[in-house]
Amino acid sequence: MPLILVGLNHRTAPVDVRERLNVPDHKLAETTLELRDLEGVDGATVISTCNRVEAVVSTRDEDVIAHLVDWLAARASTVRTDLERHLYILRHGDVVRHLFRVASGLDSMILGEPQIGGQVRKAFHAAMELGTLDPLLQQVCEHTLRVSKRVRTDTGIGEHAVSVPYAAVELAKKIFGDLRGLQVLLLGAGEMGELTAEHLHAQNVKQVFVANRSFERASELAERFEGAAVNFDRIDEQLHRCDIVVASTGAPHFLIEPQHVTRALEARRNRNLFLIDLSVPRNINPAVAGIDGAYLYNVDDLQQVADANLELRQRKALDAEEIVLREVEAFRKRLVAQDAVPTILELQQRLEAIRTAELEKCLRKMGPMTAEQHQAVEMFSSQLVNKILHYPILELKEASDEPQERESLRRTIRKIFGLR
Amino acid sequence: MTFAPTVTLYVALACYTLGTLAALASLFSRDKRLQYLGLVAMIGGFVAHTVWIGTICVNTGHPPITNLPEAVSFVAWLVFAFELALWIRYRVYAAVFFVYPLVLLMLTISAVVGENFQVLDPNLRSNVFTAHLLLSTVGVASLLIGLAFSLLALMQDRALKNKTRGRLWEWIPSLDICKKVSYRALAIGFSIYTLGLLAGVLWSYRTDAGFMDLRVKQIGAVTAWILFGVLLQSFITNTYRRKRTLFISAGAFVAIVVAMLGIRG
Repeated sequence: MPLILVGLNHRTAPVDVRERLNVPDHKLAETTLELRDLEGVDGATVISTCNRVEAVVSTRDEDVIAHLVDWLAARASTVRTDLERHLYILRHGDVVRHLFRVASGLDSMILGEPQIGGQVRKAFHAAMELGTLDPLLQQVCEHTLRVSKRVRTDTGIGEHAVSVPYAAVELAKKIFGDLRGLQVLLLGAGEMGELTAEHLHAQNVKQVFVANRSFERASELAERFEGAAVNFDRIDEQLHRCDIVVASTGAPHFLIEPQHVTRALEARRNRNLFLIDLSVPRNINPAVAGIDGAYLYNVDDLQQVADANLELRQRKALDAEEIVLREVEAFRKRLVAQDAVPTILELQQRLEAIRTAELEKCLRKMGPMTAEQHQAVEMFSSQLVNKILHYPILELKEASDEPQERESLRRTIRKIFGLR
Repeated sequence: MTFAPTVTLYVALACYTLGTLAALASLFSRDKRLQYLGLVAMIGGFVAHTVWIGTICVNTGHPPITNLPEAVSFVAWLVFAFELALWIRYRVYAAVFFVYPLVLLMLTISAVVGENFQVLDPNLRSNVFTAHLLLSTVGVASLLIGLAFSLLALMQDRALKNKTRGRLWEWIPSLDICKKVSYRALAIGFSIYTLGLLAGVLWSYRTDAGFMDLRVKQIGAVTAWILFGVLLQSFITNTYRRKRTLFISAGAFVAIVVAMLGIRG
């Protein structure tokens, strides 16, 4: 597999290096073409996310690594020696394994994060459209996307939220199922609350009401979420209209007491109410948790959910790694088998020619035969040839993924069987 | 004229066993593929089960609900049909851990009891009697589905309140879906079951059996009706979260079993 990958990621390079190499979407095509035009490159694609930049090429020339490093250094406006310490260089089978892991989210900063799959897909599709992929790299890209999908489907690694705002959304879904049509009340303008409201808004909730000490700030936020600002002193009246309440204010006391929630639940005809208290000191009286139909989570509870999900992802990552290993081996075998096809065909044709010629001679010498006898001799010769070919073909199909070793084996077999 | 169980019953039983084992294995391995395998096996069993029920209908000329094996088998068939419809609509993975074993258990009872399938005594045949049997079995199947989902709703509520995750957390759908399905299944099942009981009372009154002769099956049926009524009421008033729901559910299930076993009497 003549594949080379040169790149850096969040583990090998600080953000100031990564940002210099980052390829914005509108420059992806141009950069990929630039990479493909480097000397010795047959096929090329560029993966660029906020945490990694990787140049993947197929080549028959190992010297291409030097060109790749120089190209990256030039793009980062730095000298080669400075950049080299941040780079990793992968070859052949390691490139395939790395790509499978990256696309599956196993090499991400947040283990199993789902966005990376889409980013890799975008990079590969851009390269496909530009025609910068040679047949080998095309196969690698297609297989990578299949593996990414399989890992996510079989292990469900990206299904569980590992951040506090996402954990809140996940819990809301566990209570209400579909969040469309629900109303959210955001109390205060704390950063975490804002982020949670943003995630809820992205789930197409019906409306986000915002209440803040400063009505101006509430209006500003409400506009952002296409919602409505409400008077901070009248949140009690608003409570029954909302299904989810996110409290994130700087108030040093409880803003929501059990009696408020009991009244709201009665007005809601006991439809469930999800209360998320992200404030410290807390804004929602913990006694609310004891009321039937009210589900109260504070920031520690949500962090625990996120931590438990991370543990779950780590367990699922072990299964995912196994899938990746199996897929790498399957891909290697497929490529080796493809590579060996011309030699195998030639070998079969050569031995078939020998068999036919020798059979003809033999039949002439033996004189008249019955149809059964003729068939038996024919079968004997075919089986003999098949037996002779069995191990050479097997060796060719299961050869090492090192191109030199494979070429050496092919040459030996060709020599032994007298192929040109 | 009597009919013995056919090979299709045993095929259905084998498929249901495989499906239940695969589903239970998925609970421990958390592997969705095992769930799909279980579903495929259960659908295979359902097809064989349908053929078996169809054979009885053709041979006896009436729905297969006149004796214990027939009735239990028919309820099992309906329960799985409801479960399949709900799975298609809501993708409720967790319900299979209750429903598959229940279906398997009921069909096993049907096969083991070994009562021959009977042609109904022509003197007992009437539209009221057929309505009683059909409405009761459909009602029971719906109530059993409601029972399974009410337990899921209770588990989901406990998990959310206590902020703990049980083994079923990942498989249980949202609390709202559990509540909605259990409420609807209980409400529909209870209405149909009530009509079935009324038809039974009317039929008893018209025959020699008398208005109400308080045999085991009647006591079981009426107790189940009361307990399912209380369970339904707890969903209407939103008090299903209380511990008594568990006891009521268990009591309702036992009463239904007693009523069905009483069919022999």
